[in-house]
Amino acid sequence: MQTLISGFRTTLSNILNNKQTFLLSVATITIAISILGLFLLLFFNLNGLLSNWNRQVQLIVYLDDDITVSQKEILEGLISNNQHVESTTEVSRETAWAEFQSNISDNLKPLLSLEFNPLPGSYKIRFRSSDNQLPHIRELSETLETQQGVESIQYGEEWITRFEKFMVFSKIFLFAIGGLLSLGLILIISNTIRLSIYSRQDEIELMLLIGATPTFVKIPFLLEGMIQGLAGSVLALFLIGGVHYYLKSEFQSSIDSMGMDFQFIAEPFLFGLIGLSVLVGLMASYISTFQFLYLLNKK
Amino acid sequence: MIQIFNVVKMYDGSNPVLDNISLEIPKGEFVFLTGPSGAGKTTILKILFGWESFEKGQVLVKGINVGKLTHRNVYTLRRSMGVVFQDYKLLPNKTVFENVSFAQEVIGHDRKTIRFKTWEALKNVGLTPKKDAYPAYLSGGEQQRVAIARAMVNSPAIILADEPTGNLDPDISFEILKLFEELNQKGSTIIFATHSQEIMKVGNHRVISLNRGKVVAS
Ligand SMILES: Nc1ncnc2c1ncn2[C@@H]1O[C@H](COP(=O)(O)OP(=O)(O)OP(=O)(O)O)[C@@H](O)[C@H]1O
Ligand SMILES: [Mg+2]
Repeated sequence: MQTLISGFRTTLSNILNNKQTFLLSVATITIAISILGLFLLLFFNLNGLLSNWNRQVQLIVYLDDDITVSQKEILEGLISNNQHVESTTEVSRETAWAEFQSNISDNLKPLLSLEFNPLPGSYKIRFRSSDNQLPHIRELSETLETQQGVESIQYGEEWITRFEKFMVFSKIFLFAIGGLLSLGLILIISNTIRLSIYSRQDEIELMLLIGATPTFVKIPFLLEGMIQGLAGSVLALFLIGGVHYYLKSEFQSSIDSMGMDFQFIAEPFLFGLIGLSVLVGLMASYISTFQFLYLLNKK
Repeated sequence: MIQIFNVVKMYDGSNPVLDNISLEIPKGEFVFLTGPSGAGKTTILKILFGWESFEKGQVLVKGINVGKLTHRNVYTLRRSMGVVFQDYKLLPNKTVFENVSFAQEVIGHDRKTIRFKTWEALKNVGLTPKKDAYPAYLSGGEQQRVAIARAMVNSPAIILADEPTGNLDPDISFEILKLFEELNQKGSTIIFATHSQEIMKVGNHRVISLNRGKVVAS
């Protein structure tokens, strides 16, 4: 504890002595973490969009025109036995036709004066709202598809699959960006810490000569790296918070109608960003102190 | 207390600076280490506190096998020693008081003990009036006395002094010699490297003479 306190004092004086490099390093971290954070923000909102669509997804089972009553009973049984299904509406051919006609503008109506009803009857199945309902929908769809009397099934599958693939890609992308930025930060921070170490070279050498443990020597620099990481990430989060606040106040009203909301980065990820940044700072300063002590002891 | 067996040290890998040196210094002894410039005095001291490695031989200090220490545990050896460096190694941005207390902070004493012991050590070397001065504003002799205060402040079992009177006129030199003799009487083993015949005459302790890396008289 004593060691930590005196180490912290040294850290502060290091920072004050090398204010400019410290601030530059913090600014770099802020920028890097902001970039990562903005991508995260984007990711969260896309993810929100996806779950929103997911919730609205309904499975439509189009029926053959000559479906028999017993085939229908089998289908209804399959549907009502599925625990994820919330509600089912049967739309008869006639209703579908009527709906279709009422949805169409009056000037087009003459063109549609068909003798017969081209629309199939269908079941519209709604699922219980959950973030993870897509697999359930898919499962039921596969079961129903093979049943007698089913003409086709539709649930905007292609779109959703594409979107899901995109989210997987986004995750990989986020990891890659995060990894690259962390690597860059490690290089930059370790350089700042190296400067800090060199400005205290004689003192460190003396400390070791008069019996300081390597840990005692390292602590102030490790703390310095962690403080840089902490300061940089907290600043970055304020920046991202500002961007989010701006977007929300400018554009919330225009997405309200879609029943949506601008989401902020989820809390665990906020702490994750800070943790990552502090860890990067620690790693960077560890590398510098290790290098320095290694060279010092090599003779 | 200190045993050196057949130590060979080469800085460049071919010319030995210490050539098969063997020495034994019992606990509580006061020895002078002398010899012309370049004889290897500083090198021996550096080896004793684990700052230089050596190619051959064995060094035992307080039962610690110095050659086997790593940078992770060499501090245990150094904490039993006080060293007065030939170039003092005072920190320019710390006051006299801070320079001396630094030696205790580094090994983790509590603040009260640090204040008390620093004060004691500065009193011993007669530097209390200068406690708030920075090294740059001290005379060579005063700087040397700060270095001595720092070396003795932790009451080490062994004190290695590398020409602690090198820059001082005879009067002050004798005073400083007396200081080390007092420390010796309190139980510290002392190795005192010096060129000065006068000091050695006045001191009347065992003299180890080096020349070109060999012990020529002991
Ligand atoms: N770091 C070093 N690298 C290479 N050679 C060195 C190094 N340190 C000392 N030497 C050489 O080792 C020899 C012994 O040096 P050392 O400093 O031990 O002598 P000394 O007896 O202390 O001399 P002085 O009385 O001048 O202080 C000298 O020839 C010196 O040039
Ligand atoms: Mg010397």
